[in-house]
Amino acid sequence: MEQIKNCLIDYLKANSFMDKDTHLEDSDSLTQNGIIDSIGLLELIDYITEKYSIEIPEEMLTPENFDTLQGISNMIQKLAK
Amino acid sequence: MRIDAYISEFARKTPQSIALEDSKNSVSYGCLEKDISDIALYLKDFKRSRFTILAESGIQYIKLLLGVYRSENIAIPLPIEFPRFNLERILDSAHVNNIITTDTQYSRFGKNFFERFGTVIVTYNDMSVNILRKDIKDETNNPELRLVLYTSGTTGTPKGVMLSDRNLIANGESIIGVLGITSEDKGALVISPHHAFGNSILNSHLMAGGSIRIGTMNFMNSVFNLIGSGVSIFYGVPSTYRMLLKYPDSFRQAFTGVRTAASAGGGMDKSIVKEIRELAPWLEILPMYGQTEATARLAYVPAEDVDKFIDTIGKAIPGVTLDVFDSECRSVEPNIEGELVARGENILLGYLGDEIATKSKVVNGWLHTGDLAQKLPNGYIRLLGRKDDIIKIGDHRVNPREIERYIEENNRVSRVFVVPVSHELMGTAISLMVMPAEGTEIEALYAFCRKNFPGYLCPREILFIDHIPLSENGKISNRSIIEEYRHVKNSM
Repeated sequence: MEQIKNCLIDYLKANSFMDKDTHLEDSDSLTQNGIIDSIGLLELIDYITEKYSIEIPEEMLTPENFDTLQGISNMIQKLAK
Repeated sequence: MRIDAYISEFARKTPQSIALEDSKNSVSYGCLEKDISDIALYLKDFKRSRFTILAESGIQYIKLLLGVYRSENIAIPLPIEFPRFNLERILDSAHVNNIITTDTQYSRFGKNFFERFGTVIVTYNDMSVNILRKDIKDETNNPELRLVLYTSGTTGTPKGVMLSDRNLIANGESIIGVLGITSEDKGALVISPHHAFGNSILNSHLMAGGSIRIGTMNFMNSVFNLIGSGVSIFYGVPSTYRMLLKYPDSFRQAFTGVRTAASAGGGMDKSIVKEIRELAPWLEILPMYGQTEATARLAYVPAEDVDKFIDTIGKAIPGVTLDVFDSECRSVEPNIEGELVARGENILLGYLGDEIATKSKVVNGWLHTGDLAQKLPNGYIRLLGRKDDIIKIGDHRVNPREIERYIEENNRVSRVFVVPVSHELMGTAISLMVMPAEGTEIEALYAFCRKNFPGYLCPREILFIDHIPLSENGKISNRSIIEEYRHVKNSM
């Protein structure tokens, strides 16, 4: 789980509006804090799909699964099983 | 008449009808009327003062906007998707003393951000209001001014387009006519309401007594649920449609009950229209063209002509006259290239605090759009490019020379060139070609762009070059830059 989160943070630091020194809590909203926008989210989905070799069903593209580090990590863990 | 007067009228006639809704709440015309009057009450001591509005897209933003109108003050919505630095530039140029914001944005931007304002009003979702400071200053404003929309502000000098009640209502009526909007219609607002396109969706549906379903494009499942919730007219920029079309099954299902798919903010290309036609043949596709300086809309392609004339902007909306002028401001014959000009009640009052720019934009009542165009024999108009260097990036108007200068002035580089490159979702994104100086770091350049530009301006790649991309006649232009980029890529 921690490994997934760290990997996501690295991705966000390199590909989103997040600064290198920003501290992100697990439950902080990525969209409301201006870390990622709608195009960025679709790119993140592509990245996750490839990196973890998972298919994300369209009905899972919700704020619960995509707006926080915790949500994304939970979803990856669930789908990667 | 002001936009909020329509709310009063529908609050009297049909108080129970829904005006606004999001995924959790809905607000009837009766409630909306009460809420905007309540907000206006807090602002009643101000007389025609400029109020900047800092609020996330949602019901609360619309209430604040209408509340400022109701109190007879002037609204300046801030494009919230911009980085803080860009917003500060806009505020510096707008000289606003008063701000009204939501508690979400107050905690996000923090106390320091608000120190520049004499008046700070924080509002909450339950409609409670906290006035942190109040300082009423005398202001001189154009007597007709109601709304200022900022067109750019990413780099260079932000331009505040001044609009009057008459502008807003005239354009709203034209749009209602073109789309046939009625009180039965539910419009989907998933693009930013802080800009001209989103703002025109608000105005036209509220003026027709219809409803607006508000959301964002962030989470695709939520967007498809929104569209499937009884929306009759969907609005998007071309990139909105590209994003939705990534999910064809959901698209088909969600659009089952939608009658019209309207677009603006950029040309719909043939492939988007073709895909929509295949998935949802019942949908009326309605591409529109406009600019903030015209309140929002200027032209549209009638639904029956979309397949044949998708490469044009069609004809003027009701109440607008379009023409193509030569450099002496004389109307030219069909098939001759000139500048597209427009007149009508929707043309801006001017740019806030910039009379020189206003004078060159509106000449003898004609708005000079900056778009090169030709009239077709049937009266439709085809765009041929820009008079200046402006390009569309992710459906936003961008001046690449300003971005280049701005990066050069703030980084260790010798020269920077912005290259428009195609992007699967945005249509066009940018890459940078950089002539390095001592200490140029690619990582630092990426970080600078992320911090200082909105998302659509973050470079997809940064390439080093060793000479200036000049054209044959020794000039730097978008064309010479694109040619050099192709050359560099081919030799990689």
